[in-house]
Amino acid sequence: MGVLRDMLTALRGGASEVGEVIVDANAIRILEQEIRDAETAIGNAKQSLTRMKSAEIKLKREIATLDQDAGDYERKAVAALNTGEEALAAEVAERIAELEEERAEKAGEQAALDAEVHKIHSMIKARERTIQKNKRELDKVRTVQELQRATESVSKNFAATGSSGHRVSKALERVKAKQQGWQDRMEAGEWLEGQEAGDDIDAKLRAKGIGTSGASAAEDVLARLKARKSS
Amino acid sequence: MTLDDLAFRLNDYAGEEGTTFDALVTEQGILEVVCSNNDEFPISVTMTETQILSVTPLFALSEVQPDQRDELNATFLRLSPAVPLSAIGLQGDTYILFGAMALSTRFEVVAHELEVQAENTIDVLEAVEHMLA
Repeated sequence: MGVLRDMLTALRGGASEVGEVIVDANAIRILEQEIRDAETAIGNAKQSLTRMKSAEIKLKREIATLDQDAGDYERKAVAALNTGEEALAAEVAERIAELEEERAEKAGEQAALDAEVHKIHSMIKARERTIQKNKRELDKVRTVQELQRATESVSKNFAATGSSGHRVSKALERVKAKQQGWQDRMEAGEWLEGQEAGDDIDAKLRAKGIGTSGASAAEDVLARLKARKSS
Repeated sequence: MTLDDLAFRLNDYAGEEGTTFDALVTEQGILEVVCSNNDEFPISVTMTETQILSVTPLFALSEVQPDQRDELNATFLRLSPAVPLSAIGLQGDTYILFGAMALSTRFEVVAHELEVQAENTIDVLEAVEHMLA
């Protein structure tokens, strides 16, 4: 049933030549047909389900009416008995028996319908499982086909570029050289940022008269000279 | 999202790590993406009814040193679980790195996956480079 095993068999059989579709197109058509069939069956089942359900609802309503009528007659029969109308009570009892018979018949019908509805429900569930399963199988097939197309799309260049050997090594070297280039540029950028930030601090210090400004240096020297003179 | 939409948005997008994309839909309906973090190994992107597939062909079986083939396969099996977001496989006679995403994947996540796949390609190839002819 599973397509994976079939695909593996096809692969082992050497059906992996470039451009060759490894999965039997027939298998795909069968899967697709099964999905369509199951979908049609579900559609039909849902229609008859609606019909049955409405019949069942009608039966339920009729049974409720019968119950009500029977209850009604029972009360009346008791009333007749209480007033000593034995013959009338017997007639009513006969009527009640008829109603009960009719009720039992309808209840039987309803139970049968109910069972049928359940059966159709589980049939629909089973069909839906089939659809989902087939769709997953189909997707495996499509995945392999798409992987094949995607691989060929880019790797067709292998032959042209790879003839000199060490194709991968050379490509790796080029990529790494580029990455090193970015790394270097990034470090240079960071260094420059650091420099600019440093300049900023010096400028701020000078503005506050802190650090080695020309004026204060001259004052320092004068103070040193004065100190020497006095000693 | 169609492949054309994806191409259009990728060309106008920069990933979180500054990666830019060069995307083009070929006549065969395959989206070829070159990521700026690895412009030597382009990624082919395609779709099925449920998935977006991204494929980077690595090298052909014929590019592997003949006495190293078993070792290479074993290495790939060991490596694969450790590679984030991408898997390693064999398509026909070509070793591939590939990713699979649900069709409903957000664009930013697809872009991130492609960026990571481009990066993974370098890592994986570095790991097995010595076994190639």
